[in-house]
Amino acid sequence: MKVSLKNITLALSIATFSTAVLTSCSDNNSTGWEFAPNMYNSRAYEPLSQWRANTINADGKDMRSPVEGTIARANYHTTFLQDDSTTVNDLMVYNLPKDSIAVAEVSLKNPIPWSDKVEEEGKVLYERNCQHCHGEKGAGDGAVGKVYKGVPNYASDAYKNMNDGHIFHVITFGKGRMWAHASQVNPEERWKIVHYVHRLQLGN
Amino acid sequence: MENNSSVVLQSEKVGVLHLYINMIRKFYKSILALAVVVSISLGNATAQDSTSAASAAPAAGAGGDVAKGEGLFKNNCAQCHAVTAEVVVGPGLAGIEERRDYAWLKKWINNPMGVIGSGDKYANELYAKYNKTQMTAFGAFGDDEVKAILAYVKSAAAPKVEGPVDPNKVTQPAETGGGKFINVILISLLVIMALVLVALLGILQLLNRLSGGESLESSASFGEKLKASFKNIAANKTVRSAIVWAFILLATKATFDGMYGIGVHQGYAPKQPIAFSHKLHAGEMKINCAYCHTGVYKGKQSGIPSANICMNCHNAIKRESPEIQKIYSAIESNKPIEWVRVHNLPDLAYFNHAQHTNVGGLECKNCHGEIEKMEVVQQRSSLTMGWCIDCHRKSEVNGKDNGYYTKLMEAHSLVSKGAMKVQDNGGLECAKCHY
Repeated sequence: MKVSLKNITLALSIATFSTAVLTSCSDNNSTGWEFAPNMYNSRAYEPLSQWRANTINADGKDMRSPVEGTIARANYHTTFLQDDSTTVNDLMVYNLPKDSIAVAEVSLKNPIPWSDKVEEEGKVLYERNCQHCHGEKGAGDGAVGKVYKGVPNYASDAYKNMNDGHIFHVITFGKGRMWAHASQVNPEERWKIVHYVHRLQLGN
Repeated sequence: MENNSSVVLQSEKVGVLHLYINMIRKFYKSILALAVVVSISLGNATAQDSTSAASAAPAAGAGGDVAKGEGLFKNNCAQCHAVTAEVVVGPGLAGIEERRDYAWLKKWINNPMGVIGSGDKYANELYAKYNKTQMTAFGAFGDDEVKAILAYVKSAAAPKVEGPVDPNKVTQPAETGGGKFINVILISLLVIMALVLVALLGILQLLNRLSGGESLESSASFGEKLKASFKNIAANKTVRSAIVWAFILLATKATFDGMYGIGVHQGYAPKQPIAFSHKLHAGEMKINCAYCHTGVYKGKQSGIPSANICMNCHNAIKRESPEIQKIYSAIESNKPIEWVRVHNLPDLAYFNHAQHTNVGGLECKNCHGEIEKMEVVQQRSSLTMGWCIDCHRKSEVNGKDNGYYTKLMEAHSLVSKGAMKVQDNGGLECAKCHY
């Protein structure tokens, strides 16, 4: 191989090019080169990435709020076979305002019959949605609960007898320092969590 | 450099091989010295750790009534009240018995809303002062319980004897000890590299001498000799073409690597509008991913939490922080927080979270890496098609408690001995993801 000026120039230009490519990728704020950018920045509206103002919606957002007064169709089970082989139909739309916790205590009943499987599902949901404040055993000693303060112990005298309706209502609307969690767990999931909270009220 | 030249000069007299041996000897000596330094600093660090552990001895407790009170207090009161004067949710209880008499306290604990309702002035003032937060009624507490709790509050509020070691004094040196240790490692690495350089230069000199056979004049300085030897090497055609070829090969590799990186966002870690730390929330606070990313077990998208989920905690925690204030202003002006999307598949590929988390039983970190250790979220996986396919080839179908797969798995076991992989269920078919 002859070491000519031409060869060296070629090598140098390739090196410069590759360095440019490599440095453009190492910037954490940049996605680097894209082969077909309009595949990443979709022309169609996407739920979680918006890269240009929306010209149709007045506020410029792709997302729209549901039409006022409409109710989402239940995306959860509403029919449950009970232990005595009757069937309970419950749409779980209770229309109780936040302050009627006393009404909830007497009128709401868990439509999902207890079983090991349901309690286990409730436990998983509890771990995802409640544990960081209320603690693994419901003692109010979760990592966030310690900072947040005022998280009760389920097994304490004032809490160990709280019934289905009370727990469901508190998850839905919050109580005291706890805020509403209705947007995170749907009614069916709330009733499963209720089963597991009853387990934690036993304090073992 | 001066040291080096004196060593070289000395070698002229004593002989080349002697110099070589001498150098190696020196090299090992310095490595030995380094090892001693490192082990001493290690010893220091562990010694400091053990002192800090010893200082965390529990304070002595009291027996009888107080012990019962402690249990009751921790289970029922500690969530809202401190035994000191510190306000948690309700007032701190230090000196409570001087503020109110026993009969009032008993009545209050049994039924706080009743006392407020009866028009008691102190109770109403208290209620107003603490944002009308209702205290839980403890109707089951009799005289024994209330007295035990009060006894515990009194004993716990009394100033404790100072521990033998000041906590500040323990933690600080341990931290700086860690920093020093890293410094020692860095410095020793530098020293080792410098020594290797010196040894290499020595060898170069030696080779030069042996191959050339020419004796350089002892009056020539080290720099000049080095220059001359480099000139010799540069003049050699074989060496020149070897260097050019190595250069071309490396550049080609770098170019191909760069081209494979096109469209791959691996390492992308954009700055977000709010300095949210996953390390703090998911790591230290142990908040489950699904608490905020509510869709991850239910839908195609895992979802970005809306501000109301932030507010579940931040209505009380760190309210004054400027970063949290950004959430408040977003809510007040009804404008969404414009988070920058990190993981983004191009439109040509379909991906569904629920299928992978709920059905497949994958953990978040299988694809997203150790998010709980990231201050700023970074895309750890390449998300290329090869990466998807690779997993679909290796992973077994999770058919546990899933009737949908029962018959399929039976059919699979008739024709194949191995477990059913995702690829056996069409995991490699183009139209599964591209349509």
